Amino acid sequence: MQTAFKRLHLGHPAHLIIGLTLWSIWFVAVYGGLSVACAVAPPTPDQGSLTGLNLGLGIFSVATTALLVWLAWAGWKGGRELTGRPRFNALVSAGLYLFSAFGVVFTGMPIIGMPPCL
Amino acid sequence: MTTINRQATPQDPQEPEDGRTLHDDLHEIWGNPRGIKALTIVNHTTLGLRFMITGMAFFLLGGILSMLIRTQLATPDQNFMTPDIYSQVTTMHGTVMMFLFAIPVLEGLAIYMIPKMIGARDLVCPRLTSLGYFCYLFGGIILASSLVIEMAPNAGWFMYTPLSSSEYSPGLGSDFWLLGITFVEISALSAGVEIVVSILRTRTQGMALHKMPLFAWYILAMALMIVVGFPPLILGSILLELERAVGMPFFQVAGGGDPLLWQHLFWLFGHPEVYIIFLPAAGVISTLIPVFAGRPIVGYGWVVFAIIVTGFISFGLWVHHMFTVGIPQLAQAFFSAASMLVAVPTAIQVFVWLATLWLGKPKFKLPMLWVLGFLIIFVCGGLTGVMLALVPFNWQVHDTHFVVAHMHYVLVGGMLFPLMAGFYYWLPLFSGRMPSETIGRWGFWLTFLGFNGTFLIMHWTGLLGMPRRIYTYEAGNGWEIFNLLSSVASFVMSAGIAMVLIDIALHFRFGKPAKHNPWGADTLEWANAMPPSAYNFVSLPNIETRHPLWDNPDLPRTMAEGKHGLAVASHGRREMWGSDSITGKVREIVHLPGNSWWPFLAALALAVVCISLLTRLYPVAAVFVIVAGLFLLRWSWENGAHPKAAPDAEVNEGDPPLHSRTMSGPGVWAMATFSIANGSLFLSYLFGWFYLWTVSPEWRMPEASPLSLLVLVGAGVALTVGASIMEKLVRGLRARRDSGLMRGFYLSALLGAVQVGLVLWSLLSAGLEPTQTSHDAVLLVGLVYALFHGALAMILTAMQGLRVRCGYVGAHAPFEPAVVVQLWRYNLVTFWVLVGALGVLPRVMGG
Repeated sequence: MQTAFKRLHLGHPAHLIIGLTLWSIWFVAVYGGLSVACAVAPPTPDQGSLTGLNLGLGIFSVATTALLVWLAWAGWKGGRELTGRPRFNALVSAGLYLFSAFGVVFTGMPIIGMPPCL
Repeated sequence: MTTINRQATPQDPQEPEDGRTLHDDLHEIWGNPRGIKALTIVNHTTLGLRFMITGMAFFLLGGILSMLIRTQLATPDQNFMTPDIYSQVTTMHGTVMMFLFAIPVLEGLAIYMIPKMIGARDLVCPRLTSLGYFCYLFGGIILASSLVIEMAPNAGWFMYTPLSSSEYSPGLGSDFWLLGITFVEISALSAGVEIVVSILRTRTQGMALHKMPLFAWYILAMALMIVVGFPPLILGSILLELERAVGMPFFQVAGGGDPLLWQHLFWLFGHPEVYIIFLPAAGVISTLIPVFAGRPIVGYGWVVFAIIVTGFISFGLWVHHMFTVGIPQLAQAFFSAASMLVAVPTAIQVFVWLATLWLGKPKFKLPMLWVLGFLIIFVCGGLTGVMLALVPFNWQVHDTHFVVAHMHYVLVGGMLFPLMAGFYYWLPLFSGRMPSETIGRWGFWLTFLGFNGTFLIMHWTGLLGMPRRIYTYEAGNGWEIFNLLSSVASFVMSAGIAMVLIDIALHFRFGKPAKHNPWGADTLEWANAMPPSAYNFVSLPNIETRHPLWDNPDLPRTMAEGKHGLAVASHGRREMWGSDSITGKVREIVHLPGNSWWPFLAALALAVVCISLLTRLYPVAAVFVIVAGLFLLRWSWENGAHPKAAPDAEVNEGDPPLHSRTMSGPGVWAMATFSIANGSLFLSYLFGWFYLWTVSPEWRMPEASPLSLLVLVGAGVALTVGASIMEKLVRGLRARRDSGLMRGFYLSALLGAVQVGLVLWSLLSAGLEPTQTSHDAVLLVGLVYALFHGALAMILTAMQGLRVRCGYVGAHAPFEPAVVVQLWRYNLVTFWVLVGALGVLPRVMGG
C-alpha cells in the first residue's frame, strides 16, 4: 500500500484522471442514491427540500468537495516545486481536481432547494 | 514474399552504389501485396485509407437520404414518399451518418495518422485493424442493403422501445439495425482498444506524455471513450434482439421489463458519442491552427485539461435526452447542471484557438476556411446546447425541428467542417499533390452558406412548433416558406460537398506536386515520404520536443538516411519501439505480425452469423460462431516464438529485447484495455438488473431464488483455485522459472472446465422461464455471460499448455501467460460480483 502511494506521487499522470473519477463516482452515487431512495422510501412532498435525503446527499457532496479541494491544493503546492514532466502533470492535475470540486458544487447545488422526488 | 506496389519518392533514402537501399529491404518486409491478396493487408496506412474511403461512400449514401427528406418536406402535403418509406429514410439517414460515416471515418483518420505522428511504423495490433475494417464493411453493407429491399429500420436512429419492439415493428427492419450496428461496433471497439495501446506504448523514444502532439491526446480520449461508451449500446442491442427474436421481455412492462431501460442504455452510449465525434475533430483544429498561425498553440496544458474534462463530463449528461420521460426534478437538475458544465472545457478550447490566432500570423489557406466555418457553426451549436440544457426550455422545444437544427450545428459544425479541414490539410500527405484553391473555395462557401441556410432556418420552424419525424404537414401553420428555403439551401450545400469531392478526386490526377511539408507543419507525419511508405520511417528518432520539425527541419532527411533507431531489416521482422507509457523511454522492440487471411476470414464468418441471425437460421449461426472462433484461435496461434512471428530473439547490440520475450509488452495493455470495455458491458448489465428490480412497475421477484447458491459457490471456488494457479505460474515466469508450466496450464484449464460445468448445471437446474419474466431473462443473460468467459479462459489456457509443448511459451518467451492471466482475474472479480448480485442479494433483500 505504502509503495502504491509512493508511486502515486503528485507528478504521476494517474492524478490526471483521479479527480474526475471521484466526480463521476459522486455523480453516480448521488443520482443512483436519489433514484433508489425515491423508488423505495420517498419522503412526503410537503417536506419540500428539508428531508433526510437532501441532508444525506448534501453532506456527501460537501465531503467530496472538501476532498477534491484538498487534492487540488496539494497538487498546486507540490507541482510548483517540480520541474519538467512531473510539474506539467501535477499542475494540470491540480486544475482538474479544482474543476472536479467546482463540478460537485455546481451540479449538487439543486440539493439545497429542491424537493427530491417530485 | 510480398510484392511492392509503391514507387520511390524524393523523401526515400538515396540509392547507394550497390543498388539496394534500406528502403528496398524495409519494403520487402512491410510492402503490400496486390490482387486478391490485398485482402490480407494489415498495414495501418492502407487500412486507414480504406476506412476513410468507405466512410465517405456511406456519407454520400446518408447525404442522398437527407436530400430525399428535404425534398419531401419542401412543400406541404407532399406525397413524394409514403410515411413508411419516409420513416425508413430518416432512420437510415441518422444511422448511416452516425455509425457508418462519422465514427469510422474519424477512426480511419486516427488509424492512418497516429503511428505517423508518434514516430511508429504501424498500430500495435495490425491484424485487429484489418478485422475491424472488414467487420465495419460487412456490417455496413448488411445494414445498407435493407434499404434496397425496402426493409430498412423505421423506428428512428435511436430505436426507442416499444416502437422498435416486435409488436410495433414486426418486420426485419429493427433486426437489421440491431445486428448490423452491433457488428459495426466490433470494429469501433477493436480500433478503440488498439489506438489506446498504440498511443500509450509505441511512441518513439523520448516522446514523453507531455510532449505528445495534441492530436494524439484527443485521439487517446476518443479511443478510451469508445472503449467505455460503446458497450452499453452493445448490451442494449443484444437484449432488444433477444426480445424480438425469442420473446425475452426486457423492455416490456407486462413481462416485468421497462422500455426506459433501453433509453438509458442507448443514451449512456449516445451522449458520449457526440463527444467521441467532436474530440478528434477538435484535435484536427488544434493541429491546424498552430501551423497556419505559425506559432505553438497557446496553453498546451489547458487543452489537455479540456480534453480530459470533456472525456469525463460527457458521460454525465445522458439523461438530458430524457427530460420528458418523468424523472424526478432534482435528478433532472443534476443533469441540467452537468450539461452546462461541459460547455466549460469547450469554451477553453475555443479561447485557446482564438488566442493562438490572435498572437500568430494566420495564413488563410484552404484548410483554414473550414476551420473558420467550424468556429462559427460550432459555437452557435454549443450555445443552443446550453439552451437545451435548461429543463423548461428543453420541454418546450422537445421533439421539434429546433433540436434537429441544434444537433446538426453541433455534429456538422463540430465534425464535418474540421474533417474537411483535415482532409485538405493532409491531402498532400495522402497523395503527394496539392488541391485546387479555386474549386476548394467554391466548395467551402457553397457548403457553408447552404448549411446555414438549411439549419439556421430550422430553429425557427422548430420554435413555431414543427415536430421532427413527421412525414408531411398541412399548409397554414406558417412553416411553408421556412421549409422551402431550408430545402433549397440543402441542395446548395449538396452542391458544395460535390465540389469538394470533385476537387479531391481531380487533385489525384491534376493537382500540383506538393513540396515537402507544404504547410510548414511541426509534427512528425510530415517527415514521411509523400505518399508515405508502408513502414512510415526508415529510422525512428529520439523526440523530446512538441515541435520536432520546427526545432529540427533536417529531421526528415536524417530519418530517411537511417541515422536513428531501428534502421535494420536483415532480421525480416516488422519492428518498432515499445516505450514507457509516461516517459517515452524505450523498453522493448515490438515485433508485429505480417499480412494474413485470418482477420478477413473471421469477419466473413461473423458476417454469415449476422445474416443467419437475421434470417432466423439459428443452427447455421451457431455453426459459424464456432467457425469464427476457430479462425480467431488459429490467428492467435501465430504469435510470440511461433516460426511465423519471432522464432529467434536476436536483436542488435544495445537494443532492448523483443516484446514477446518480456512480461509487459503491449499485448498486456491491450488485454487490460479490452477488460475495461468488457467491464463497461458488465456494469451496464448490473445497471439493467438493479434498474428493473428497483423501477420496473411489473417486476416479479420469485419467493425463492431459482439459482442454487451452493452450486454457484462451487463454481466460484473452482475459478478461484484455477486463477491462483495461473497467478503462481506467471509469478514463476517472471522469475524465469518454467518447471511444471504445461501441467499447471492444463490443471487451470481443467478447473475452468469444472467452473463452466457447474455454471451450466446451475443454469439447467434453475428451471428459468426467460420468455415469461424479465427476471428470469436477466438471470439467463448473466449466467451465459459467466459461461462464455469461463469457457474462453479454459480454451485459452489449454492452448497455452499446447504452446508450451511446441516451445512457443516458456521462460524464454513468457509473454502470453501474462496476457491470459488477466482474463482469469477479470473472470474472478465479475463472477463473484455476479454471484453476489444474482444469488445472494435477492435472498437477503427479497422482492
